[in-house]
Amino acid sequence: MHIPAAAPVSAPVKPSGLSLGVLLFRLRALIALCVLTGIFSVLSPSFFTQQNLIILVGQTAINAIMAVGMTFVILTGGIDLSVGSTVGLAAMASGLLINRGLPLPPLGVIVYFNVPVIITLSLALGLLVGAFNGLLITRFNVAPFIATLGTLYVARGTAQLSNNGATFPNLVGTRELGNTGFPILGAGSVLGIPIVIWIMVLFAAVAAFVAGKTPFGRQVYAVGGNERAAELSGIYVTRIKMTVYMICGLCAAMTGLITASQLVAAHPGVGESYELNAIAAVVLGGTSLAGGRGTIWGTIIGALVIGVLTNGLVLLGVQEFWKKVITGLVIILAVVLDQLQERLQQRLALRRA
Amino acid sequence: MAKHTLSTRKLFLRLLTVPALLLAAGIMLQPALAQQKKLIAIVVPSPENPFFKALADAAEAKAKSLGYETLVLVHNDDPVKQDQLFDTAIARKAAAIILDNAGADASIAAVTKAKTAGIPSFLVDREINATGVAMAQLVSNNYQGATLGAEEFVRLMGEEGDYVELIGKETDTNAGIRSKGYNDTLSQYPKLKKVAAQSANWNQAEAFQKTQTIIQQFPNIKGLISGNDTMALGAYAALKAAGKGNVIVVGFDGSPDVAESIKAGEIRATVLQPVVRLSELAVEQADQYLKTGKTGSEEKQTIDCVLVNPDNVKGYAAFSVKE
Repeated sequence: MHIPAAAPVSAPVKPSGLSLGVLLFRLRALIALCVLTGIFSVLSPSFFTQQNLIILVGQTAINAIMAVGMTFVILTGGIDLSVGSTVGLAAMASGLLINRGLPLPPLGVIVYFNVPVIITLSLALGLLVGAFNGLLITRFNVAPFIATLGTLYVARGTAQLSNNGATFPNLVGTRELGNTGFPILGAGSVLGIPIVIWIMVLFAAVAAFVAGKTPFGRQVYAVGGNERAAELSGIYVTRIKMTVYMICGLCAAMTGLITASQLVAAHPGVGESYELNAIAAVVLGGTSLAGGRGTIWGTIIGALVIGVLTNGLVLLGVQEFWKKVITGLVIILAVVLDQLQERLQQRLALRRA
Repeated sequence: MAKHTLSTRKLFLRLLTVPALLLAAGIMLQPALAQQKKLIAIVVPSPENPFFKALADAAEAKAKSLGYETLVLVHNDDPVKQDQLFDTAIARKAAAIILDNAGADASIAAVTKAKTAGIPSFLVDREINATGVAMAQLVSNNYQGATLGAEEFVRLMGEEGDYVELIGKETDTNAGIRSKGYNDTLSQYPKLKKVAAQSANWNQAEAFQKTQTIIQQFPNIKGLISGNDTMALGAYAALKAAGKGNVIVVGFDGSPDVAESIKAGEIRATVLQPVVRLSELAVEQADQYLKTGKTGSEEKQTIDCVLVNPDNVKGYAAFSVKE
């Protein structure tokens, strides 16, 4: 992997001699977030209300949780296109386990689990999909783009097969079977804040800690910065890659569970093209697609930018086609700024040298 | 040792002749078998949507009962894929094609290609913008259906109050026709006020989020009318989660999930597209055409939709309702 000389290789970026320009560039996602929030607050009186902001963050959470997992993958220089399908697969798994239970033909019984176990099993399925991706990429040397593209189809097809294309409706469970309470995940709240937001905060905090403060996190950055160098310095590159795809699968499965719980139904098509939203959030947050550079909090801010845009444009009643154009332009602008920052930093580094 | 290998090889070769002979016999017998049963290809958008699944299932069942072999193909609303599927159907020498097409203009070429190859197409659910190419075009009357749904909505609303409209995918003709049907009826009541209209692209999760956002701006809406049932379900889930389960929601399609919801007293009504009937009619006309050379009907045929509400939901079964 070719890496320009000025690109920082180690994780938490400690810039020496921050100039104002670089600082502004680095905070561009945050600035964009503030500007958009300002614009929508002026244009729509119901935008900057406590209730709408809670809803907005709740809607963002779905994308943000996926994007957190995606950040790890992109930090290693990989990509995971299968997350949208994993969302659908995990949603269908939870639907199946609640409405039909798990049939065990050899024993001739159907096992019904309670909701915590169902959630755990669906998350485990996400890990499994991630492990499958990781295996293809590390053991069979398939390029991440292709491996996860394949998984995109396999996982989506499996989701459709699970109920022959139909929705699992009305996921409220039955009291006799002891599997009620699934809708709480999507609709419940703690201390006035929806559980969905707590989950996002939890995922983000743990991920930020892992990425920034643990040896594993540093190794992730190292693999993305220069894989060969990382390997030579004794990092188990295979193990790191395997783990990041599993994290990504887990996060996607969490999103699937939330969506199914919110809709109180599991639809096999849910999550289609979500992978692109997740990648957009990661890129908006300043993570480089080449790997080795980026932060979890940046991703969260990136997801919030998309969330603010979606929510604000709906409140303003902007036509669907324009919404797409505007969202696209914001993403392009972010990447252009990203390139400018890189060039600015290189120039500064040269001047100092 | 060498002798032994030789004999094994001979044995192997001899064994190989058995499947080879079978294969040859199969190839020779194939036309004879094919002549016994004619093939009807059924080309549909996606089996994921219960609506299209019911459509495909009904066509398949009808064709089998009339003694045809069937081949169900899926184009996922991609005209290019649809074109390739038509090639497949032509190569398989299908006797007729039942098609729910992938675009009013983008599908004309494929249907024409089949016609040139001598295969008649029978269109269901969606029309194409050409006549004389397909043998029949059977569609449910979306405008009449929308008017029916809107009238029920007016009745439920008591002719007054704020409401929201969720529109389907704006590139889809039916989304426009349904929206027009709703608005032509609803605009006649001055006390009914449409406070917001948004597209949720026929999508459940999107309808959930958009409804969630809209009720921030308009917390006092009394009703919500949706361009299809999937969006109605998403919208109702959002309303219920916000403690607004009493908002009047009316959908369109007559899907099994909404029928369940009506039974539970949640969504108030939907408009049933007689999709099972459409499909069966198309196959019947194909059968008649193959036997007599005539379909016995006009090319363009519309079939009226039926309202489903708590009064008749008991007689509902997968996209059909007993009076």
